[in-house]
Amino acid sequence: MKLVTIPDYENYRIDAMFDCYKWDPQFLDSNTISKHALVLTKQEARSLARLTELLDQETRDAELFLNTHLSLAKKLRLPKKLLPELKRMKNYDPKRHIRLTRYDFHPTKEGEWAISEVNSDVPGGFAEASLLPKLALQYLKSNKVESIDFGSHLVKALSKKIKKKGTVFFVHCTSYSDDRQVMQYLGDQMEQHGYHALYGAIDHLRFQNQEAISILDGHQGKVDGIVRFTPLEWVKDIKPKTWSGYFDTTTPSCNHPIAIFAQTKRFPFVWEQLESYGLSFSTWRKLLPNTIEVTKKVPPGYLYKPAWGRVGEKISIQEACEEGEYQKILKEVKRHPKRYILQKQFSSQLLESPEGEWFHVCIGSYAVDGKHAGFYARMSRKLRIDSDAEDIPVLIERT
Amino acid sequence: MTGKELYQIWAPTNKRWVEWVRPVPFIHMDQPSSFYEVIDEDLPEIYYLKEVTKDTAIFVDFDGARSIEEGIALAKRGFRPIPIFNGTNPNFETKATTNNASIEPLLRWGGELLTQIPLEEDAPPAFLLDENRLHRYKSTPSIFDNSWDIYPQDIPSPDYFLQHGITKLIVCGNQFHHDLEKVLYRYQKKLQILFTNGYEPPKEVRIKKRKEE
Repeated sequence: MKLVTIPDYENYRIDAMFDCYKWDPQFLDSNTISKHALVLTKQEARSLARLTELLDQETRDAELFLNTHLSLAKKLRLPKKLLPELKRMKNYDPKRHIRLTRYDFHPTKEGEWAISEVNSDVPGGFAEASLLPKLALQYLKSNKVESIDFGSHLVKALSKKIKKKGTVFFVHCTSYSDDRQVMQYLGDQMEQHGYHALYGAIDHLRFQNQEAISILDGHQGKVDGIVRFTPLEWVKDIKPKTWSGYFDTTTPSCNHPIAIFAQTKRFPFVWEQLESYGLSFSTWRKLLPNTIEVTKKVPPGYLYKPAWGRVGEKISIQEACEEGEYQKILKEVKRHPKRYILQKQFSSQLLESPEGEWFHVCIGSYAVDGKHAGFYARMSRKLRIDSDAEDIPVLIERT
Repeated sequence: MTGKELYQIWAPTNKRWVEWVRPVPFIHMDQPSSFYEVIDEDLPEIYYLKEVTKDTAIFVDFDGARSIEEGIALAKRGFRPIPIFNGTNPNFETKATTNNASIEPLLRWGGELLTQIPLEEDAPPAFLLDENRLHRYKSTPSIFDNSWDIYPQDIPSPDYFLQHGITKLIVCGNQFHHDLEKVLYRYQKKLQILFTNGYEPPKEVRIKKRKEE
């Protein structure tokens, strides 16, 4: 794996914004569009793809099992408001819905891979995993590297299960342009394939006879597919009157709320019990650093992570925390220990750029309905890959 | 002129502060729109600034059209206008809480004028906001809520301001809106915060801590 510098960067950055749906190019003082591309060897890409499919098989087996054995999900400590709704998922049929996941891999100093989490519920980065690598290839003008178009894999999977020329409803937090950019990219792709894209909030869908109906102004009527980018654990706080319908809808959904089981970082706490029923987590166990309940005496080399954290937020890597943040996390852990987990810290392998700068890298690897579908990478000078990390296109050596 | 070309006028390469120009309204410009804005081509007078000092940044927070007009007037006084509008548009024929598209013709108009205004390399910034962003009243649940807030990640940090010689932030608007107050609460530890309604001289303010901070 190596970093290569993208020539004519200033124009590349503008093209990323205007041609690749990168509408959030700046986060506080940090430019979020990397000046580099990440080049994987063919072998590395194959290895990640294989591990992703193995992980995804284990995840999907577990969620199907938990869905029919809800009592075993207690250790996940899912939000109380969600619990009554989970019983509605009994009719969940994976053949009807589209299951999208993204596993976040990190190269370690031991020359292996570690994963930090699965983005099970609402993974993002769609255009960054599809158009940005193509743009980088244009600028690099190299025929020695290629890229995977994640978007085309996702569109293909959606098109298989959603009625041709149907209406797809893109559910997101409509006040956030950075959510809309993810939905708009996919919506535009679906429109190119003859679908009608509608953009709205979680409460713009009602459900009749388990089918989704749009109430969006000017676009009322039956919906043929749902793509949701509003996290489930936020929905419970928004409390739309008809949210229950998402849990038992027969309208093809990406993702269906079944995704909630693996979204919590407490997911490893149910493995042992599920293994006693014959399920396997061998790939997960190999790749995820040891994860334990919060205890008063923290074992050396462990860090706190919030069970429902996203984008690296509130992870207690002291040297990566902002002023006062580390103390704030410790206070919160003391008050709400069950909202956090303790996880052994892996030793991230730094990558050097051609200019001599060093970066930590996180490679998100997607699975769509169990098949590997592409990569979305971010990198940072800090040990924690969080909101001010740079988006970096992933390329793969042809030979 | 495409949205991309216009963006490059508002955010010319390698100029200070332009990294924060939000591309969102410029991207939407290339989509069909039925919106036309009547533009008052008389630039407003900047009553509240007697002299321009390079230690002062401004947040202009009137309705979008007036903010852009004010931004161009400030450019003539030596400030670099930095539009940070971040609202999206609904599907065609969908009623929305906020008319984010209304600023698009103004950005075109302002962009043309900006090409004729020479700005110094170290021109201090004037961040442009649209106070209509906070219109989130929905008369029916079917309405698309495209109101938006300003967040800490949308502007430079206090340290960045200080490192670039800015010690004062003037907020100029009909009122000091709660989202901007929330963002600037932490800034007042390091920077002086002043407020003006656009006519009276800016007065220093102390932002009170809100519950959620």
